[in-house]
Amino acid sequence: MTDPAFLVIAAATVIGAILAIEARDLVYGAAALGITFLGVAGLFILLDATYVAAFQIAVYIGAVVVLILFTVMLVGPVKGEAPIEHRRTSLMTAILVSLMLGIGGSLVSSNAFPGVDACGASCDLQLLSQTLLLGSGSNGGYAIQLELLSFVLVAAVIGALTLAKTERKA
Amino acid sequence: MEPLSSFFAVSIILLAVGLFGMTTKRSAIRILFSVELVYNAANLNIIAFSRLRNPPLITGQIIVLFSISLAAMEAAVGLAIIILAFRLNSDIDLRKLNKLKG
Amino acid sequence: MVDLPPDPISMTIQIMTSPLFLKIAIFPGLASIGIIAALLTWLDRKITARVQLRIGPQYVSPLGGILQSFADLIKLAFKELIIPEKADRFFFLLAPIFGMVLGAGLIGLIPFSPETLISNLEVGLPVFLAFVTLSPTLVLLAGWSANSKYPFIGGLRSLFQQTGYEIPLWLSSIGVVMMAGSFNLSKIVQAQSTGYVLFGVHWWFIVPQILGAIIFLVTSVAEQERIPFDLPEAEPEIIMGWQAEYPGFLFLAAQGAGFIKLYAFSALFTTIYLGGYLGPGPLPPLFWSIFKTTVMVVVVILLRGAFGRVRLDQLLRYGWTLLLGLAIANIAITYFLIEGIPAI
Repeated sequence: MTDPAFLVIAAATVIGAILAIEARDLVYGAAALGITFLGVAGLFILLDATYVAAFQIAVYIGAVVVLILFTVMLVGPVKGEAPIEHRRTSLMTAILVSLMLGIGGSLVSSNAFPGVDACGASCDLQLLSQTLLLGSGSNGGYAIQLELLSFVLVAAVIGALTLAKTERKA
Repeated sequence: MEPLSSFFAVSIILLAVGLFGMTTKRSAIRILFSVELVYNAANLNIIAFSRLRNPPLITGQIIVLFSISLAAMEAAVGLAIIILAFRLNSDIDLRKLNKLKG
Repeated sequence: MVDLPPDPISMTIQIMTSPLFLKIAIFPGLASIGIIAALLTWLDRKITARVQLRIGPQYVSPLGGILQSFADLIKLAFKELIIPEKADRFFFLLAPIFGMVLGAGLIGLIPFSPETLISNLEVGLPVFLAFVTLSPTLVLLAGWSANSKYPFIGGLRSLFQQTGYEIPLWLSSIGVVMMAGSFNLSKIVQAQSTGYVLFGVHWWFIVPQILGAIIFLVTSVAEQERIPFDLPEAEPEIIMGWQAEYPGFLFLAAQGAGFIKLYAFSALFTTIYLGGYLGPGPLPPLFWSIFKTTVMVVVVILLRGAFGRVRLDQLLRYGWTLLLGLAIANIAITYFLIEGIPAI
């Protein structure tokens, strides 16, 4: 791990994630979540996925964080998080999480994925910087999938509006 | 270029933090934070694998574009549900919202 | 990376004289952004004054008060910072500074000439627009953190306005991308001289994309919260909206962030619609790009003197229905321009 940019961005991501769930005030948690999203976008840029990074910033930080902040301001301050009551659940969860981290740590050595040839300087980056989704090269077109996605978006918007609307008294 | 295992390590740490938040916290909005963390961990994993195989594929990036859009939609609907639950119960402590009535 | 000599002093000297560092620090980077923000403040006040048949800043220097904004900078730097007691200090202090950093980052993506560009990203246009979508979050946090009604209302209004006008902004620039065939801002500029042909002439994209250019101009003025879209800052009613509680130097930072965004949006408009650094003959390309950017800045400033304020419901209605529909119509028109009418 000799790349300082990767270390800084990965550290910011992880610290943001931990702060997001542990901060007492939900607004600080939402801002820390925004830092995490920025960190993940930075990792995308390190992986030559610049368009996806721009999309991540625009959608997650530009829309999801705003929605979360809105809801936090509407729902109001929680009356203080009480101490954890179910100690057994959180203990089991902590053991599970440590197991996952342990497995992850053992995979950090580069012998873990023997079949995958880490792509060095010989990668064809032109292929990766193409961003035209419709009919680019050997991928075929993704036009139909995008249209279906727009239907899902309409359904989600209608659902959210119906759930959150207030009854107007005539 | 960092080896794949470093990106995998970050993705697993995010997944672990998200899972811990999802199972341990009582406020519904914190659980939504954890869900978004898990989404990000998965997206990071897909992009890392698609970039660091030889020859690289762009399919991973396209999958992640769809995944980001769907995650945003799910967050919107989830927040609408939280607002509705707050309006009906004046409380979003998930340990108290365990009745289907109302 | 390049070979750096191991001695720290000569390493520093070598970094500081490398062309990239000079570009980031001097032009089109940080120092020139500061000076340009100050000059744009003066230009805004002077042109607005002349439109309103006043004189504007005139005392600070014999050249029409051009050093007025530097005088304001010195004055505001010495003022006492009064922060409201219950305000959330972290976000309160952070938001204007982040706004300036954001604006400065936007300028790094614009190609001012084939040599003086800081970064030539393959996906420069989406990255620019993605950083624009960061500003509603900052403004909401700034308005909330002051813990007072008027800034919060102003912050919410600003959030609605900026979020609603982002979609027509993105969609109207897609027409340019369709014609140029790339997201790269340098390639978009090149395509306006060697690419798309209409009736045998290489037009700048403002001609075939006139509808898109108008939509882009309107939505970018809405994104910058300038008059006629200055409802979040409505001076007589809610006293500068989300900036109401900002004292001294932070107020300057908030205003400066607004003018840096003006500069960045005007530069983007000239890059994608007016042909960037293209221009005839003997004058260097850098002159043309700065000249066209200045023309666009003056156009946006003149809009301030010409229009009244748009009401909130009108603003939201026109942003979400009229402009969105026109932007989609622009994409359809662009498709037919590219493929030709028999492609129906």
